[in-house]
Amino acid sequence: MADTHTAGRTATGPQRPPLRRPDARSLVRPAVIAVLLLFVLFALPQLLSLYYIGAMTQVAVYAIVALGLGVLVGRVGLVSLGQVAVLAIGAWVAARLLFATSLPYPVVLLGAGVITMVLGTLIGLPALRLRGLYLALITLMLAGGITVALATTNFPNGGSGFLGYNGSSVHIPPIRRPSIAASDPAYFRYSVLVAALMFLLVLAHIRTRPGRAWAAIRQSELTALAAGINTTLYKLWAFALASFITGVAGGVLAGAIHYLYSIDFPTQDSITLLAVVLMGGAYSLWGAVVAALLYQLLPALLNNWGVSSDWLTILFGIGVLQVLTTAPAGLADQVPKDLGRLGRLLRRRVLPGRVLPGRVPRKRLRGPSQSGGGAG
Amino acid sequence: MPSWAYFQPFVVSGLALGGVYALSGVGLVVLYRATGVVYLAFGAVGAMGALIAWSLIKDTGVPGWVGWLVCVLFAGAVTLAYGMVFGPALAKRDPLIKAVATLGLTLVLFGVMDLLWTSGGGQSRAIALPTDNGGFVVGQLQVNWTQVIGLGAGIAITVVTGAFLRYTKLGTAMRAMANDRDITATLGVPVRRVEAAAWLGCGVLGGVAGLLLADLVALDATTLTFLVISSLAAALIARLRSIALTFVAAIAIGLIHDLLTPIQALSNYRDMTPFVLAAVALLVLSRRSVISLSREEA
Repeated sequence: MADTHTAGRTATGPQRPPLRRPDARSLVRPAVIAVLLLFVLFALPQLLSLYYIGAMTQVAVYAIVALGLGVLVGRVGLVSLGQVAVLAIGAWVAARLLFATSLPYPVVLLGAGVITMVLGTLIGLPALRLRGLYLALITLMLAGGITVALATTNFPNGGSGFLGYNGSSVHIPPIRRPSIAASDPAYFRYSVLVAALMFLLVLAHIRTRPGRAWAAIRQSELTALAAGINTTLYKLWAFALASFITGVAGGVLAGAIHYLYSIDFPTQDSITLLAVVLMGGAYSLWGAVVAALLYQLLPALLNNWGVSSDWLTILFGIGVLQVLTTAPAGLADQVPKDLGRLGRLLRRRVLPGRVLPGRVPRKRLRGPSQSGGGAG
Repeated sequence: MPSWAYFQPFVVSGLALGGVYALSGVGLVVLYRATGVVYLAFGAVGAMGALIAWSLIKDTGVPGWVGWLVCVLFAGAVTLAYGMVFGPALAKRDPLIKAVATLGLTLVLFGVMDLLWTSGGGQSRAIALPTDNGGFVVGQLQVNWTQVIGLGAGIAITVVTGAFLRYTKLGTAMRAMANDRDITATLGVPVRRVEAAAWLGCGVLGGVAGLLLADLVALDATTLTFLVISSLAAALIARLRSIALTFVAAIAIGLIHDLLTPIQALSNYRDMTPFVLAAVALLVLSRRSVISLSREEA
């Protein structure tokens, strides 16, 4: 696999710019993110009611799930229609571990992630022979199958045996939370931290060799193969990574809602999830956050206002059509662009004739979104 | 293992279900061959058509056949409109994108259905076709006419579609477009009109399937919308190519699904049938992986 490195380099261009010193501008982004994270961790739980803290915990969970799907769709160009089923597997494994053992919560999360990763990879290995449309449809089929199986086996509720389900138990014990995060606000912070770690994990992948290999595969699998990239390995790697973080998300979800039922993971949710990920923007990590806000916070808001969440389903449907026809990079790309356009317009109106120094319009080189995208 | 007598009624219902799956599967394959679109909203248009028919018949008291006609027309019209608006916009895109876009339509229709025909409140709906009551007896088996129609429609649609594609001018044009849309256009075939015909035909089949499944299975938005996955399984086993193979696969799915019902250990898992069969078939069929540069996937 020594030649992969060269291949990744070719994909980013033959001449790479020399390593840059961290200047002020490259420090702004991490600083903004750090401030945002601190705000979310410390200020948000003070400001929100318990109802919205619950909703925001779900946002943290689904941001991880959306991130996993974003890696598959946006980075590698593999569309999976079964991510909610993977989430259900993660939640099942975590619940089973939590009832069966007294392992510390982070270990359980790791275990859920690893077991889900193994299962996801085992399923993914044969499926990876398929591409594009057929892969998407087979993941839909597998998700349908998993959903049916889970509806029959049920989620563990403290019973005995391998399945850990006791159909006649009257007092179902809640799934435990970590002792340091027993209350809702504390568990919210815990979920956000786990989500942040998952984002860092994905970022570490994208910035390094796998990320470059994925970019090459997304552009053209044939060219990537010709460049010496082990496409099967890296596609499987993407599947493993997405399954791992989705499994961890399942573990966080198990503690967040205390009781798991198979009806919480219907097949259509995988479809809605793909819709919001496409709307949020599959090519940007922010897109995953936007997707999770759309998917979990909006229903909570509407529910509070007494509006049926069916409107959201309709909105998501229209959103998918709009994204696919006009804005392939989603809201995370569209909104800043539109805001920038608005800003320029205002500046021209307010300060006519004045050219701002150092803001010469440059054609920005952009990877995924311009090329029509891996999903395009 | 229960004795054979227990299985007999399920042979009948399985064949009927398989027939409807075949009808849907053939519709999906023809549309895919002509336009490159896997129409995942197939179940949703049928479901909404069936719900409209139910409301019409119940609230305004129109005769049943008007309701059924409205159902079929609605499904056809929505599908045609979608095809006319989004077909050209996405014509040059990957088949995957075209399929995902139809999921957008699915979500819109699903949301509207959930909004207008709320599933809460335990209100049960049913479409009873008059053919439910009549029937005949084979051996000791009661067979009703709806079941006969289910299987019969499956067979008829498969045969008629096969003949249509083979012998008519429009059918030849559709087959040509399945091979290469651009060359077909160069030869002077009005591709947009041929595509429109394929969309309309597929939508009408969606309406018929929705009506029959509403009777045979249940009139419920979620169930009907996602039953498309089962019909899609049949089409996938045929690799979205052969309508004859689609028919065989659909009958097999319907039969195996219903025959598992009396087997206690597997009964709860019977809904997995289409998924498992499709997944296994896809994996076996694609064991030799080929990378090609053509637009068509896999």
